[in-house]
Amino acid sequence: MYGIPKYGRFRSLKIHRIYTRDSVTTRNCPALLCLPGPTLTPSLSSLLPRKSQPSPAFVSKKKPLSLSLSVHESLAMQETELHDLSDDADYAASQLQASASMMRSDGIKRSSSSEPDGAEIVYLKDNVTIHPTQFASERISGRLKLIKQASSLFMTWIPYKGQSTNAKLSEKDRNLYTIRAVPFTEVRSIRRHTPALGWQYIIIVLSSGLAFPPLYFYNGGVKEFLGTIKQHVFLVRSAEDANVFLVNDFGNPLQRTLSSLELPMAVSVASEPSTSISVGESPLNENQERTDVVFGNSSASLYNGKQRQKKASNVTEKIPDGSPVASDPLENISYMKHNHVEEAATNLGTFELIDCKEVDKLTLVWGKPRQPPLGFEEWFTFLDSEGKVLDSKALRKRIFYGGVEHGLRKEAWAFLLGYHSYDSTYAERTYLRSIKKSEYETIKFQWQSISPEQAKRFTKFRERKGLIEKDVVRTDRSLSFYDGDDNANVNLLRDILLTYSFYNFDLGYCQGMSDLLSPILFIMEDESESFWCFVALMERLGPNFNRDQNGMHSQLFAISKLVELLDSPLHNYFKQHDCLNYFFCFRWILIQFKREFEYEKTMRLWEVLWTHYLSEHLHLYVCVAILKRYRNKIMGEQMDFDTLLKFINELSGHIDLDPILRDAEALCICAGENGATCIPPGTPPSLPVDDGSFYTQQDDDVL
Amino acid sequence: MATTGNKNINAKLVLLGDVGAGKSSLVLRFVKGQFIEFQESTIGAAFFSQTLAVNDATVKFEIWDTAGQERYHSLAPMYYRGAAAAIIVYDITNQASFERAKKWVQELQAQGNPNMVMALAGNKADLPDTRKVAAEEAQAYAQENGLFFMETSAKTAANVNDVFYEIAKRLPRVQPAQNPSGMVLMDRPAERVASASCCS
Repeated sequence: MYGIPKYGRFRSLKIHRIYTRDSVTTRNCPALLCLPGPTLTPSLSSLLPRKSQPSPAFVSKKKPLSLSLSVHESLAMQETELHDLSDDADYAASQLQASASMMRSDGIKRSSSSEPDGAEIVYLKDNVTIHPTQFASERISGRLKLIKQASSLFMTWIPYKGQSTNAKLSEKDRNLYTIRAVPFTEVRSIRRHTPALGWQYIIIVLSSGLAFPPLYFYNGGVKEFLGTIKQHVFLVRSAEDANVFLVNDFGNPLQRTLSSLELPMAVSVASEPSTSISVGESPLNENQERTDVVFGNSSASLYNGKQRQKKASNVTEKIPDGSPVASDPLENISYMKHNHVEEAATNLGTFELIDCKEVDKLTLVWGKPRQPPLGFEEWFTFLDSEGKVLDSKALRKRIFYGGVEHGLRKEAWAFLLGYHSYDSTYAERTYLRSIKKSEYETIKFQWQSISPEQAKRFTKFRERKGLIEKDVVRTDRSLSFYDGDDNANVNLLRDILLTYSFYNFDLGYCQGMSDLLSPILFIMEDESESFWCFVALMERLGPNFNRDQNGMHSQLFAISKLVELLDSPLHNYFKQHDCLNYFFCFRWILIQFKREFEYEKTMRLWEVLWTHYLSEHLHLYVCVAILKRYRNKIMGEQMDFDTLLKFINELSGHIDLDPILRDAEALCICAGENGATCIPPGTPPSLPVDDGSFYTQQDDDVL
Repeated sequence: MATTGNKNINAKLVLLGDVGAGKSSLVLRFVKGQFIEFQESTIGAAFFSQTLAVNDATVKFEIWDTAGQERYHSLAPMYYRGAAAAIIVYDITNQASFERAKKWVQELQAQGNPNMVMALAGNKADLPDTRKVAAEEAQAYAQENGLFFMETSAKTAANVNDVFYEIAKRLPRVQPAQNPSGMVLMDRPAERVASASCCS
C-alpha cells in the first residue's frame, strides 16, 4: 500500500528538506546544538528512566545465548552513503524484502540456527556508532542486532570493548549507552536521517517518548534494518514524514503526527547491566506464553577499526574550514538541560541521564567568509530593463553576505527598508518619490505652522521639540557630516524627527531615534527620502520605543531563550548571577548596535540585518554571537550584573563585525526552527502579527 | 561604619534627572576628569565606579547613570532600588528640568531606600547668563526635603568632586551598620554580591 509510485509525489519535497537541514548541520555545527523538533521539554528529567532499579518488567534470566557468528564484511556492504539521498528507495527495498530471505538482507553470512531457546539473530550490523560528543575520538562503535524469539523481536546494540581509539571511553560510558534487548513492543517509531554529507543514521523513539541516541550506520544497512523489522513487526511509514516509520501502530497510523515523534529525545539508556529481560504482554504476543531472551555481551572483533578511522578522516577532509566533523545536534539534546547526572523514574524503569560534558568546547570557527560589498555593476544584473528587481531573494542573499558599496547604499537601502518595493520600475519609483516629497512637506508644515503663541499652549509640542533639539546636537557630531556650529544636517535631523513625531504622534520622539536616523540621512542626503526610509525602519523598530517596553522585553527575552538553546553554560551563569533580564543588551537592541561599531560598520551591519535573509531576527543572533565571543571572559572573571553592563558598554568600538556576522549566521542556521520558536511572533523587527502574508513569506525564507 | 574600624565602603549611587541636564557629563567628569561638549544621550544605562578617600576611609562608588527621557521611566526603579545615594540633576538654565528633579525626589522618597543620601545638583553653573532656576529656590527646596544642594558645572569641573565627596562623608553617618541596603563592607570581596541586588 505504500509502494513507490504512491510516494513519488512527495519524494522531491522531502529530499529537499532533509538535505537542507542535514547538510547545514553537518557542515557548520561542530559546537552547536540544533534540535530538529520544536520541543524543549523542561520536565524532560521526569520522563527519563534511571539505572539503579531495574524495571519490574525486567526479570533476570537464565543462561547466556551462545552465538557462533561468522562475520564477513563484504565489499557489497560498503555502500556509498555520503551523498545517498535515495530516500524512498530504502522504503521500497524494505517492502520488497518483506518477502525476501533475511539471509540476503545484509550481506552478512551468519549461522543463526544454533541458538537455544528459539532465539534467532535476524539482523546484525557492525560499526553502528553513536556520537556522544562532537569529538570523533569519543564516538562509540558497536554491533546492532535484531533478535527474534518466538514471535517477538528485540533490538540490541552492544559497544565494542577495548577500542584503542576510544581511550577516554570508560566502561561506564559503554554501559551507559548499551541497548540491552529492547522489545519492539516498546518501540514507537524509527526515524531515518540521510544527511547529504555523512553517515545515514536512525533514531529510535520508544512509546514512552524517549529516544536512543542516533545510531550511525558506518557500513550502511539502514534499509536492511528496516526491511528486517518489517518482516517481523507491523511497520508503516508515517503519512506526515516519509522518513518516519511507525512500529505496531495499529490504531490509526496515519493520524500520528510528526510532533508526537519528536517529543523529548533524551539520550538515556539503562546503564545497569541487566543482561536479561522479560517481555510483557503486548498486542503482538498476548496469546503466547511469556518468552525470555538472553544474550551475552558478544566481544565483537575489531577487524575493521582502521577502515572506520580512514572513513572518518575522509569525511573530515570534505568539510569546509577544516572543522571537525559535525556531530549531529540530536546527540546533544540532553546537554540542553542537563549538565550533571540526574535520575528519574518512569514506567520503563529507572535510568540515568548521561553526565554530559560541556558542549561548547570548540569556538565558532565557521560561517561563510564575508564577500566584497555589492557594487554598481553587479547591482544592475539584478534589475531588468524597467528597473525591477528580478530575484529579490538572490539580491538579499548577496547583500546578506557582503553588504553594499557605499555609493550604492542610497539606492539599495530604499529597497531593503521597504520604502521601494522590489517589483517597482524606475518610473514608478520616480513617481513615488515626488508624491512622497509633497506628502512629507504637508506633514512637516503641520508643526512648522505652529506659531510661538500656539506653542505656548502646546506643552507636548514644546517638550518634543526641546527633546529633539537636545538630542540632535549630540548625535554623531564627531562626523564631518554633522560637524560644526549651525550644521545644516543637524537641522535636517531635527526637522525629520519632529515631522516624524507628527506623522506618528502616538509614538512621538524617543531617545535613540536620532541614532537610527543619522546614518539614513547620511546616506540618502535628501530630507524627504530620509524621512520615508526612517518611517519604513520605524515600522519595524517602533515597538522598541513603546512606553511599556514590551518590544524591548520580548527581544531581551528571546535572547535569553536563544542563549539557553545555544550556550547553556552561559545561560546557567547568567541565571546564577541574576542577569537573565539581559538588560546589558538593551542598547544593542534599542538602536541596533549603533553605538557599538564605527559608523561604517554600523551601516554594513544594518544593511545585512535589513535583508531579513536568514531571519528577521538576525540581530538577536548577533547578540548571542557577541556574548559567545566574550563568554569565557564573562564567566572567568565572574562578572556580576553591574560589571557585565560596564563591560558590555565598554565593548563599544572593540567588536570586530565580520567574525560576529559569520558567527551570527552560523548560530542562526544551527538554531534553525528551534531558534525561531525562541522568538515569539510579533517580536520586533517583525511587522505586526496580523500581517499573515508576511510571515508566510518569511517562513519560506528560513527554510 | 567608619567607627567600626572598617575603612572600605561600597556604595551604589544612581544619577537621575531630566534629559540633557548633564548626568553623564557629571559622571564622566568625576570618573575620568573629562568633558565632552556633545555628550551623546545615554541609552539604557551606564555603569561606572570610582573610589574616593574620605578622612581615613575609602568609599567606592558604583555609579548608575540612567537615561533621562520620561519614556524610559519604567526602568528607573531597577537602578535606584538598593541605592545608598542618589544625585538628582537639573539644568539651571531649564526650569522644566528643575520640576522634573522635584518629581524624582518625590519618587525616591516614596519608593527608594529611606536612608538614601540624596544630593540635588544644579548643573551648567557655567551658564549664569541663561539661568532660569535661582540657586536660592533650589536651596530652599533641598532643605525642605532633606537633600543637600550644590550647583555644579561638569564643563568647568566646579563642585563636581565636591558633590561626590559630600555624599561619601554622609554615607556612614546615616547608614546603620546592620542595614545592608546598597552598602556592603568590603573586607571580603565575596560579600560584594550583596550590593548587586539592584538588578534582580
